[in-house]
Amino acid sequence: MGSFTGFATLVTQEFFRFWRLIRQTIFPPILTTLLFILIFGFSLGERIQEIHGFPYILYIIPGLAAMGVMNNAFSNTSTSLYMARFDQSLDNILAAPLKPIEIVTALVVGGIARGILIGGITLAVSLLLLKQPLFSWPVTFFFLIQQSILFGCWGIIGALRAKTWDSLATTQTFVITPLVYLGGVFYSINLLPDIWKKISIVNPLFYMVDGIRYGVLGILEVPLWHSVALSGLLTLLLFALCVYLFQIGYKLVR
Amino acid sequence: MNAIEITGLKKSYSATVEALKGIDLSIPQGEFFGLLGPNGAGKTTIINSIVGLVRPNSGSIKVMGHDIRKEPLAAKRYLGLSPQEINIHAYFPIGNVMEFQGGFYGLSKKESKQRAEKLLKDFGLWEKRKVGRFKLSGGMQRRLMIARALMGKPKILILDEPTAGIDVELRHELWEFLKGLNSDGTTILLTTHYIEEAELLCERVGIIHKGKIVACDSPTKLIEKYRFENKERKGVLKFVRPGSLEEVFVNLTGKSLAEGAKEWEVSRDLQL
Repeated sequence: MGSFTGFATLVTQEFFRFWRLIRQTIFPPILTTLLFILIFGFSLGERIQEIHGFPYILYIIPGLAAMGVMNNAFSNTSTSLYMARFDQSLDNILAAPLKPIEIVTALVVGGIARGILIGGITLAVSLLLLKQPLFSWPVTFFFLIQQSILFGCWGIIGALRAKTWDSLATTQTFVITPLVYLGGVFYSINLLPDIWKKISIVNPLFYMVDGIRYGVLGILEVPLWHSVALSGLLTLLLFALCVYLFQIGYKLVR
Repeated sequence: MNAIEITGLKKSYSATVEALKGIDLSIPQGEFFGLLGPNGAGKTTIINSIVGLVRPNSGSIKVMGHDIRKEPLAAKRYLGLSPQEINIHAYFPIGNVMEFQGGFYGLSKKESKQRAEKLLKDFGLWEKRKVGRFKLSGGMQRRLMIARALMGKPKILILDEPTAGIDVELRHELWEFLKGLNSDGTTILLTTHYIEEAELLCERVGIIHKGKIVACDSPTKLIEKYRFENKERKGVLKFVRPGSLEEVFVNLTGKSLAEGAKEWEVSRDLQL
Protein backbone atom coordinates (compact mmCIF):
# COMPACT_ATOMS: atom_id res chain seq x y z
CA MET A 1 0.00 0.00 0.00
CA GLY A 2 2.64 2.49 -1.06
CA SER A 3 1.50 5.98 -1.70
CA PHE A 4 2.29 7.59 -5.00
CA THR A 5 2.85 10.88 -3.20
CA GLY A 6 5.78 9.40 -1.29
CA PHE A 7 7.45 8.17 -4.45
CA ALA A 8 6.73 11.40 -6.32
CA THR A 9 8.29 13.37 -3.47
CA LEU A 10 11.43 11.24 -3.58
CA VAL A 11 11.73 11.93 -7.30
CA THR A 12 11.16 15.65 -6.76
CA GLN A 13 13.88 15.62 -4.14
CA GLU A 14 16.31 13.99 -6.58
CA PHE A 15 15.57 16.59 -9.26
CA PHE A 16 15.79 19.37 -6.72
CA ARG A 17 19.23 18.13 -5.71
CA PHE A 18 20.87 18.12 -9.11
CA TRP A 19 19.08 21.20 -10.30
CA ARG A 20 20.35 23.19 -7.33
CA LEU A 21 23.85 22.03 -8.09
CA ILE A 22 23.55 22.75 -11.80
CA ARG A 23 27.03 24.28 -11.97
CA GLN A 24 28.46 20.99 -10.77
CA THR A 25 26.04 18.56 -12.31
CA ILE A 26 25.06 19.88 -15.73
CA PHE A 27 27.52 22.42 -17.08
CA PRO A 28 30.83 20.58 -16.58
CA PRO A 29 29.85 17.37 -18.39
CA ILE A 30 28.49 19.36 -21.32
CA LEU A 31 31.67 21.38 -21.49
CA THR A 32 33.79 18.20 -21.37
CA THR A 33 31.85 16.64 -24.21
CA LEU A 34 32.05 19.75 -26.34
CA LEU A 35 35.80 19.86 -25.76
CA PHE A 36 36.08 16.27 -26.92
CA ILE A 37 34.17 17.10 -30.08
CA LEU A 38 36.36 20.12 -30.66
CA ILE A 39 39.64 18.29 -30.12
CA PHE A 40 39.00 14.88 -31.60
CA GLY A 41 36.49 15.95 -34.15
CA PHE A 42 37.48 19.24 -35.62
CA SER A 43 41.20 19.44 -35.04
CA LEU A 44 42.52 15.88 -35.06
CA GLY A 45 39.65 14.30 -36.94
CA GLU A 46 40.69 15.73 -40.29
CA ARG A 47 43.80 13.59 -40.21
CA ILE A 48 41.86 10.40 -39.52
CA GLN A 49 40.21 8.51 -42.34
CA GLU A 50 36.50 7.82 -42.47
CA ILE A 51 35.07 4.91 -40.53
CA HIS A 52 32.12 3.03 -42.01
CA GLY A 53 31.70 5.92 -44.42
CA PHE A 54 31.36 8.58 -41.72
CA PRO A 55 33.83 11.34 -40.92
CA TYR A 56 35.66 10.64 -37.67
CA ILE A 57 33.87 13.33 -35.73
CA LEU A 58 30.46 11.89 -36.54
CA TYR A 59 31.71 8.41 -35.76
CA ILE A 60 32.68 9.31 -32.20
CA ILE A 61 29.67 11.44 -31.31
CA PRO A 62 27.28 8.64 -30.29
CA GLY A 63 29.98 7.12 -28.08
CA LEU A 64 30.69 10.49 -26.49
CA ALA A 65 27.02 10.93 -25.75
CA ALA A 66 26.92 7.44 -24.25
CA MET A 67 29.94 8.28 -22.12
CA GLY A 68 28.18 11.39 -20.86
CA VAL A 69 25.08 9.41 -20.04
CA MET A 70 26.99 6.70 -18.19
CA ASN A 71 29.21 8.99 -16.17
CA ASN A 72 26.40 11.31 -15.21
CA ALA A 73 23.88 8.67 -14.27
CA PHE A 74 26.55 7.04 -12.12
CA SER A 75 27.57 10.35 -10.56
CA ASN A 76 24.03 11.36 -9.81
CA THR A 77 22.86 8.29 -7.97
CA SER A 78 26.17 7.60 -6.25
CA THR A 79 26.62 11.17 -5.02
CA SER A 80 23.04 11.49 -3.91
CA LEU A 81 23.04 8.22 -2.01
CA TYR A 82 26.53 8.56 -0.58
CA MET A 83 25.77 12.07 0.68
CA ALA A 84 22.54 10.85 2.22
CA ARG A 85 24.47 8.10 3.99
CA PHE A 86 27.07 10.60 5.06
CA ASP A 87 24.73 13.22 6.58
CA GLN A 88 22.47 10.38 7.75
CA SER A 89 19.44 11.86 6.00
CA LEU A 90 19.14 8.39 4.47
CA ASP A 91 18.00 7.10 7.86
CA ASN A 92 15.14 9.56 7.69
CA ILE A 93 14.11 8.14 4.31
CA LEU A 94 14.42 4.58 5.57
CA ALA A 95 12.26 5.33 8.61
CA ALA A 96 9.55 6.87 6.41
CA PRO A 97 6.72 4.78 4.95
CA LEU A 98 8.46 4.20 1.63
CA LYS A 99 9.08 0.93 -0.18
CA PRO A 100 12.61 -0.15 -1.10
CA ILE A 101 11.62 -0.26 -4.76
CA GLU A 102 10.31 3.30 -4.53
CA ILE A 103 13.56 4.55 -3.03
CA VAL A 104 15.66 2.76 -5.67
CA THR A 105 13.43 3.83 -8.55
CA ALA A 106 13.48 7.46 -7.43
CA LEU A 107 17.28 7.44 -7.31
CA VAL A 108 17.38 5.83 -10.75
CA VAL A 109 14.90 8.33 -12.17
CA GLY A 110 17.23 11.09 -10.97
CA GLY A 111 20.06 9.32 -12.79
CA ILE A 112 17.96 8.94 -15.94
CA ALA A 113 17.00 12.60 -15.91
CA ARG A 114 20.57 13.79 -15.62
CA GLY A 115 21.89 11.14 -18.02
CA ILE A 116 19.32 11.94 -20.70
CA LEU A 117 19.79 15.64 -20.25
CA ILE A 118 23.54 15.38 -20.81
CA GLY A 119 23.30 12.73 -23.54
CA GLY A 120 20.45 14.52 -25.24
CA ILE A 121 22.16 17.90 -25.22
CA THR A 122 25.39 16.37 -26.51
CA LEU A 123 23.61 14.68 -29.40
CA ALA A 124 21.38 17.61 -30.21
CA VAL A 125 24.19 20.16 -30.24
CA SER A 126 26.62 18.07 -32.23
CA LEU A 127 24.14 16.71 -34.77
CA LEU A 128 22.79 20.19 -35.37
CA LEU A 129 26.31 21.58 -35.76
CA LEU A 130 27.20 18.85 -38.21
CA LYS A 131 23.81 18.85 -39.95
CA GLN A 132 23.45 15.12 -39.49
CA PRO A 133 19.91 13.69 -39.11
CA LEU A 134 19.30 11.11 -36.43
CA PHE A 135 18.96 7.58 -37.85
CA SER A 136 16.51 5.98 -35.41
CA TRP A 137 14.79 7.74 -32.52
CA PRO A 138 13.49 4.60 -30.80
CA VAL A 139 16.84 2.81 -30.81
CA THR A 140 18.69 5.91 -29.64
CA PHE A 141 16.16 6.49 -26.94
CA PHE A 142 16.28 2.87 -25.81
CA PHE A 143 20.03 2.97 -25.32
CA LEU A 144 20.03 6.36 -23.61
CA ILE A 145 17.47 5.14 -21.09
CA GLN A 146 19.08 1.74 -20.71
CA GLN A 147 22.51 3.22 -20.05
CA SER A 148 21.10 5.69 -17.55
CA ILE A 149 19.36 2.95 -15.60
CA LEU A 150 22.32 0.60 -15.68
CA PHE A 151 24.82 3.19 -14.52
CA GLY A 152 22.32 4.66 -12.09
CA CYS A 153 22.07 1.25 -10.48
CA TRP A 154 25.83 0.83 -10.57
CA GLY A 155 26.09 4.15 -8.76
CA ILE A 156 23.65 2.97 -6.11
CA ILE A 157 25.61 -0.21 -5.46
CA GLY A 158 28.84 1.77 -5.46
CA ALA A 159 27.49 4.25 -2.91
CA LEU A 160 26.25 1.46 -0.66
CA ARG A 161 29.59 -0.29 -0.71
CA ALA A 162 31.81 2.77 -0.57
CA LYS A 163 33.59 3.37 2.71
CA THR A 164 35.04 6.64 1.59
CA TRP A 165 34.34 9.26 -1.01
CA ASP A 166 37.59 8.26 -2.73
CA SER A 167 36.44 4.77 -3.49
CA LEU A 168 33.56 6.13 -5.57
CA ALA A 169 35.88 8.35 -7.55
CA THR A 170 38.18 5.36 -7.95
CA THR A 171 35.40 3.27 -9.48
CA GLN A 172 34.70 6.01 -11.96
CA THR A 173 38.33 6.62 -12.86
CA PHE A 174 39.67 3.09 -12.88
CA VAL A 175 36.68 1.01 -13.92
CA ILE A 176 34.07 2.97 -15.83
CA THR A 177 36.29 5.29 -17.85
CA PRO A 178 38.62 2.51 -19.13
CA LEU A 179 35.66 0.27 -19.97
CA VAL A 180 33.99 3.05 -21.94
CA TYR A 181 37.17 4.09 -23.74
CA LEU A 182 37.95 0.48 -24.62
CA GLY A 183 34.32 -0.10 -25.58
CA GLY A 184 34.91 1.46 -28.95
CA VAL A 185 33.95 5.07 -28.39
CA PHE A 186 36.91 6.30 -30.43
CA TYR A 187 37.47 3.46 -32.89
CA SER A 188 35.87 0.55 -34.67
CA ILE A 189 36.96 -2.74 -33.12
CA ASN A 190 37.42 -4.06 -36.65
CA LEU A 191 40.52 -1.88 -36.81
CA LEU A 192 42.01 -3.70 -33.82
CA PRO A 193 44.42 -6.67 -33.86
CA ASP A 194 42.61 -9.97 -33.39
CA ILE A 195 43.43 -10.47 -29.72
CA TRP A 196 42.17 -7.00 -28.74
CA LYS A 197 39.07 -7.55 -30.79
CA LYS A 198 38.34 -10.66 -28.75
CA ILE A 199 38.93 -8.83 -25.51
CA SER A 200 36.66 -6.00 -26.62
CA ILE A 201 33.66 -8.20 -27.25
CA VAL A 202 33.53 -9.38 -23.64
CA ASN A 203 33.25 -5.75 -22.54
CA PRO A 204 29.51 -5.15 -22.09
CA LEU A 205 29.94 -1.45 -22.71
CA PHE A 206 31.06 -2.22 -26.24
CA TYR A 207 27.51 -3.40 -27.03
CA MET A 208 25.97 -0.29 -25.58
CA VAL A 209 28.26 1.99 -27.56
CA ASP A 210 27.61 -0.06 -30.68
CA GLY A 211 23.87 0.05 -30.06
CA ILE A 212 23.64 3.78 -29.64
CA ARG A 213 25.87 4.33 -32.66
CA TYR A 214 23.36 2.34 -34.66
CA GLY A 215 20.57 4.47 -33.28
CA VAL A 216 22.31 7.70 -34.21
CA LEU A 217 24.14 6.83 -37.42
CA GLY A 218 22.73 3.49 -38.55
CA ILE A 219 26.03 1.60 -38.54
CA LEU A 220 26.87 -1.39 -36.38
CA GLU A 221 29.46 -4.08 -35.78
CA VAL A 222 27.35 -6.72 -34.04
CA PRO A 223 23.68 -7.51 -34.71
CA LEU A 224 21.37 -5.03 -32.99
CA TRP A 225 19.43 -7.64 -31.09
CA HIS A 226 22.65 -8.80 -29.39
CA SER A 227 23.22 -5.32 -28.03
CA VAL A 228 19.60 -4.82 -27.06
CA ALA A 229 19.27 -8.19 -25.34
CA LEU A 230 22.58 -8.09 -23.54
CA SER A 231 22.33 -4.54 -22.25
CA GLY A 232 18.65 -4.90 -21.44
CA LEU A 233 19.25 -8.04 -19.43
CA LEU A 234 22.21 -6.59 -17.58
CA THR A 235 20.17 -3.53 -16.70
CA LEU A 236 17.27 -5.56 -15.33
CA LEU A 237 19.66 -7.67 -13.27
CA LEU A 238 21.38 -4.71 -11.73
CA PHE A 239 18.10 -2.97 -10.96
CA ALA A 240 16.79 -6.10 -9.29
CA LEU A 241 20.01 -6.34 -7.29
CA CYS A 242 19.61 -2.75 -6.07
CA VAL A 243 16.04 -3.36 -4.95
CA TYR A 244 17.14 -6.57 -3.24
CA LEU A 245 19.96 -4.79 -1.41
CA PHE A 246 17.54 -2.18 -0.11
CA GLN A 247 15.08 -4.85 0.87
CA ILE A 248 17.59 -6.75 2.98
CA GLY A 249 18.97 -3.45 4.26
CA TYR A 250 22.49 -4.11 3.00
CA LYS A 251 24.77 -1.62 4.82
CA LEU A 252 21.61 0.31 5.67
CA VAL A 253 20.06 -1.53 8.57
CA ARG A 254 22.17 -2.38 11.58
CA MET B 1 -4.88 -1.90 21.08
CA ASN B 2 -1.56 -0.56 22.28
CA ALA B 3 0.25 2.11 20.36
CA ILE B 4 3.49 0.17 20.72
CA GLU B 5 3.83 -3.44 21.72
CA ILE B 6 7.30 -4.91 22.09
CA THR B 7 7.86 -8.52 23.07
CA GLY B 8 11.08 -10.40 23.72
CA LEU B 9 13.24 -7.95 21.79
CA LYS B 10 16.89 -8.98 21.57
CA LYS B 11 19.70 -7.43 19.63
CA SER B 12 23.41 -8.10 19.48
CA TYR B 13 25.70 -5.96 17.36
CA SER B 14 28.46 -8.52 17.63
CA ALA B 15 29.30 -11.63 19.58
CA THR B 16 30.38 -9.52 22.52
CA VAL B 17 28.05 -6.52 22.32
CA GLU B 18 24.56 -7.45 23.45
CA ALA B 19 22.59 -4.23 23.23
CA LEU B 20 19.16 -5.57 24.16
CA LYS B 21 18.70 -8.61 26.35
CA GLY B 22 14.98 -9.22 26.00
CA ILE B 23 12.76 -6.15 26.13
CA ASP B 24 9.03 -6.37 26.80
CA LEU B 25 7.17 -3.11 26.66
CA SER B 26 3.61 -1.99 26.01
CA ILE B 27 2.72 1.64 25.50
CA PRO B 28 -1.02 2.36 25.41
CA GLN B 29 -2.42 4.94 23.04
CA GLY B 30 -2.24 8.46 24.36
CA GLU B 31 0.46 7.77 26.92
CA PHE B 32 3.53 9.90 27.54
CA PHE B 33 6.18 7.26 28.12
CA GLY B 34 9.81 7.80 29.01
CA LEU B 35 12.82 5.54 28.71
CA LEU B 36 15.36 6.66 31.25
CA GLY B 37 18.90 5.43 31.23
CA PRO B 38 22.52 6.39 30.67
CA ASN B 39 24.18 6.49 27.26
CA GLY B 40 24.74 3.01 25.94
CA ALA B 41 21.90 1.44 27.92
CA GLY B 42 20.01 0.44 24.78
CA LYS B 43 17.49 3.28 24.41
CA THR B 44 18.42 4.16 20.87
CA THR B 45 18.55 0.52 19.82
CA ILE B 46 14.94 0.10 20.96
CA ILE B 47 13.85 3.17 19.06
CA ASN B 48 15.74 2.28 15.92
CA SER B 49 14.20 -1.17 16.04
CA ILE B 50 10.73 0.36 16.12
CA VAL B 51 11.33 2.44 13.00
CA GLY B 52 13.16 -0.35 11.19
CA LEU B 53 16.69 1.05 11.22
CA VAL B 54 17.90 -1.77 13.42
CA ARG B 55 16.97 -5.35 12.73
CA PRO B 56 16.46 -7.24 16.00
CA ASN B 57 17.77 -10.79 16.39
CA SER B 58 14.51 -11.92 17.92
CA GLY B 59 11.26 -10.63 19.33
CA SER B 60 8.49 -8.65 17.71
CA ILE B 61 7.35 -5.06 17.53
CA LYS B 62 3.85 -3.93 16.73
CA VAL B 63 2.82 -0.38 16.02
CA MET B 64 -0.95 0.12 16.33
CA GLY B 65 -1.31 -3.60 15.76
CA HIS B 66 0.91 -3.70 12.65
CA ASP B 67 4.03 -5.84 12.84
CA ILE B 68 6.98 -3.70 11.79
CA ARG B 69 8.59 -6.57 9.85
CA LYS B 70 5.44 -7.83 8.12
CA GLU B 71 3.69 -4.53 7.42
CA PRO B 72 6.42 -1.93 7.67
CA LEU B 73 4.59 0.75 5.69
CA ALA B 74 1.38 0.50 7.66
CA ALA B 75 3.36 0.69 10.90
CA LYS B 76 5.64 3.53 9.85
CA ARG B 77 2.76 5.71 8.77
CA TYR B 78 1.82 6.18 12.43
CA LEU B 79 5.31 7.16 13.52
CA GLY B 80 7.21 10.39 13.67
CA LEU B 81 10.84 10.10 14.70
CA SER B 82 13.28 12.68 15.96
CA PRO B 83 16.57 10.79 16.33
CA GLN B 84 19.36 11.67 18.67
CA GLU B 85 21.77 12.54 15.91
CA ILE B 86 20.86 15.32 13.53
CA ASN B 87 20.03 13.63 10.23
CA ILE B 88 18.82 16.49 8.12
CA HIS B 89 20.00 16.83 4.55
CA ALA B 90 23.10 18.97 4.72
CA TYR B 91 22.42 21.33 1.80
CA PHE B 92 18.69 21.63 1.34
CA PRO B 93 16.95 24.74 2.66
CA ILE B 94 15.06 23.67 5.75
CA GLY B 95 11.74 24.81 4.26
CA ASN B 96 12.20 22.22 1.52
CA VAL B 97 13.32 19.61 4.04
CA MET B 98 10.01 20.08 5.84
CA GLU B 99 7.91 19.95 2.68
CA PHE B 100 9.64 16.83 1.39
CA GLN B 101 9.03 15.17 4.72
CA GLY B 102 5.32 15.81 4.39
CA GLY B 103 5.37 14.20 0.96
CA PHE B 104 7.14 11.09 2.26
CA TYR B 105 4.23 10.61 4.63
CA GLY B 106 1.63 11.06 1.91
CA LEU B 107 0.63 14.70 2.38
CA SER B 108 -0.31 16.57 -0.77
CA LYS B 109 1.97 19.36 -1.93
CA LYS B 110 -0.42 22.03 -0.76
CA GLU B 111 -0.94 20.42 2.61
CA SER B 112 2.81 19.94 3.10
CA LYS B 113 3.43 23.59 2.35
CA GLN B 114 0.81 24.76 4.84
CA ARG B 115 1.89 22.35 7.55
CA ALA B 116 5.56 23.19 7.06
CA GLU B 117 4.76 26.87 7.44
CA LYS B 118 2.74 26.30 10.58
CA LEU B 119 5.34 24.06 12.23
CA LEU B 120 8.27 26.28 11.27
CA LYS B 121 6.44 29.21 12.84
CA ASP B 122 5.54 27.19 15.95
CA PHE B 123 9.18 26.30 16.42
CA GLY B 124 10.53 29.76 15.68
CA LEU B 125 12.29 28.69 12.49
CA TRP B 126 10.20 30.43 9.84
CA GLU B 127 12.76 33.20 9.28
CA LYS B 128 15.36 30.55 8.56
CA ARG B 129 13.34 28.57 6.04
CA LYS B 130 15.62 29.42 3.13
CA VAL B 131 18.90 28.38 4.72
CA GLY B 132 20.50 24.97 5.17
CA ARG B 133 20.77 23.35 8.55
CA PHE B 134 24.44 24.22 8.96
CA LYS B 135 23.41 27.85 9.27
CA LEU B 136 21.32 27.00 12.34
CA SER B 137 22.43 26.89 15.95
CA GLY B 138 22.48 23.56 17.75
CA GLY B 139 19.24 24.33 19.55
CA MET B 140 17.54 25.34 16.29
CA GLN B 141 18.62 22.12 14.63
CA ARG B 142 17.12 20.17 17.53
CA ARG B 143 13.83 22.02 17.19
CA LEU B 144 13.88 21.43 13.46
CA MET B 145 14.24 17.70 14.10
CA ILE B 146 11.09 17.70 16.19
CA ALA B 147 9.21 19.91 13.75
CA ARG B 148 10.16 17.57 10.92
CA ALA B 149 9.03 14.54 12.94
CA LEU B 150 5.62 16.19 13.21
CA MET B 151 5.23 16.77 9.46
CA GLY B 152 3.66 13.37 8.85
CA LYS B 153 0.94 13.97 11.49
CA PRO B 154 2.18 11.08 13.61
CA LYS B 155 -0.13 9.32 16.03
CA ILE B 156 3.03 8.25 17.85
CA LEU B 157 5.90 10.64 18.29
CA ILE B 158 9.26 9.14 19.14
CA LEU B 159 11.87 11.49 20.53
CA ASP B 160 15.38 10.25 21.16
CA GLU B 161 17.07 12.64 23.59
CA PRO B 162 15.16 15.62 22.20
CA THR B 163 16.52 18.19 24.62
CA ALA B 164 20.20 17.20 24.59
CA GLY B 165 22.18 20.37 24.07
CA ILE B 166 19.20 22.71 24.34
CA ASP B 167 19.45 25.51 26.90
CA VAL B 168 17.21 25.47 29.95
CA GLU B 169 14.72 28.07 28.82
CA LEU B 170 14.10 26.45 25.48
CA ARG B 171 13.88 23.09 27.13
CA HIS B 172 11.00 24.28 29.27
CA GLU B 173 9.24 25.74 26.23
CA LEU B 174 9.64 22.44 24.46
CA TRP B 175 8.25 20.54 27.43
CA GLU B 176 5.13 22.70 27.36
CA PHE B 177 4.75 22.06 23.67
CA LEU B 178 5.07 18.30 24.10
CA LYS B 179 2.58 18.29 26.96
CA GLY B 180 0.08 20.07 24.75
CA LEU B 181 0.68 17.63 21.92
CA ASN B 182 0.16 14.71 24.26
CA SER B 183 -3.04 16.09 25.69
CA ASP B 184 -4.30 16.44 22.11
CA GLY B 185 -3.96 12.68 21.83
CA THR B 186 -0.48 12.02 20.46
CA THR B 187 1.28 9.08 22.08
CA ILE B 188 4.82 10.09 22.95
CA LEU B 189 7.81 7.87 23.53
CA LEU B 190 10.77 9.80 24.78
CA THR B 191 14.25 8.75 25.80
CA THR B 192 16.25 10.88 28.11
CA HIS B 193 18.97 10.89 30.66
CA TYR B 194 17.56 13.99 32.31
CA ILE B 195 15.80 12.95 35.51
CA GLU B 196 13.73 16.10 35.63
CA GLU B 197 12.45 15.60 32.11
CA ALA B 198 11.25 12.10 32.87
CA GLU B 199 9.65 13.12 36.19
CA LEU B 200 7.89 16.11 34.81
CA LEU B 201 6.56 14.81 31.52
CA CYS B 202 6.09 11.08 31.67
CA GLU B 203 3.07 9.20 32.90
CA ARG B 204 5.19 6.10 33.04
CA VAL B 205 8.93 5.65 33.02
CA GLY B 206 10.91 2.57 32.05
CA ILE B 207 14.32 2.42 33.64
CA ILE B 208 16.75 0.84 31.24
CA HIS B 209 20.12 -0.47 32.23
CA LYS B 210 22.50 -2.63 30.23
CA GLY B 211 19.89 -3.71 27.71
CA LYS B 212 17.13 -4.53 30.16
CA ILE B 213 14.16 -2.65 31.52
CA VAL B 214 14.76 -3.05 35.24
CA ALA B 215 11.61 -1.23 36.40
CA CYS B 216 8.61 0.34 34.74
CA ASP B 217 5.88 2.38 36.39
CA SER B 218 4.70 5.91 37.07
CA PRO B 219 7.39 8.15 38.56
CA THR B 220 5.46 8.41 41.86
CA LYS B 221 5.14 4.67 42.25
CA LEU B 222 8.74 4.06 41.28
CA ILE B 223 9.91 6.57 43.86
CA GLU B 224 7.65 5.06 46.48
CA LYS B 225 8.99 1.61 45.80
CA TYR B 226 12.67 2.24 45.30
CA ARG B 227 13.58 5.21 47.47
CA PHE B 228 16.19 4.80 50.14
CA GLU B 229 14.67 4.80 53.58
CA ASN B 230 16.60 6.13 56.53
CA LYS B 231 19.89 5.34 54.98
CA GLU B 232 23.00 7.29 55.53
CA ARG B 233 23.53 9.42 52.46
CA LYS B 234 27.06 8.75 51.49
CA GLY B 235 28.99 8.06 48.34
CA VAL B 236 27.09 8.77 45.19
CA LEU B 237 23.86 9.42 47.10
CA LYS B 238 25.27 12.68 48.38
CA PHE B 239 24.49 14.13 45.00
CA VAL B 240 21.03 12.70 44.70
CA ARG B 241 17.88 14.64 45.44
CA PRO B 242 15.90 12.60 47.98
CA GLY B 243 12.60 11.29 46.64
CA SER B 244 13.55 11.64 42.98
CA LEU B 245 13.79 9.25 40.06
CA GLU B 246 17.51 9.66 40.39
CA GLU B 247 17.31 7.86 43.68
CA VAL B 248 15.34 5.09 42.02
CA PHE B 249 17.97 4.87 39.36
CA VAL B 250 20.82 4.65 41.85
CA ASN B 251 18.97 2.01 43.82
CA LEU B 252 18.31 -0.13 40.78
CA THR B 253 21.61 0.20 39.00
CA GLY B 254 24.09 1.38 41.59
CA LYS B 255 24.91 4.26 39.29
CA SER B 256 23.91 7.86 38.97
CA LEU B 257 22.80 9.90 36.01
CA ALA B 258 23.55 13.28 37.56
CA GLU B 259 26.54 15.26 36.42
CA GLY B 260 27.74 16.00 39.95
CA ALA B 261 27.79 12.34 40.79
CA LYS B 262 29.79 11.54 37.71
CA GLU B 263 32.39 14.05 38.78
CA TRP B 264 32.41 12.49 42.17
CA GLU B 265 32.97 9.06 40.65
CA VAL B 266 35.80 10.39 38.56
CA SER B 267 37.45 12.09 41.51
CA ARG B 268 37.14 8.90 43.52
CA ASP B 269 38.79 6.98 40.72
CA LEU B 270 41.58 9.50 40.66
CA GLN B 271 42.23 9.13 44.34
CA LEU B 272 42.52 5.39 44.00
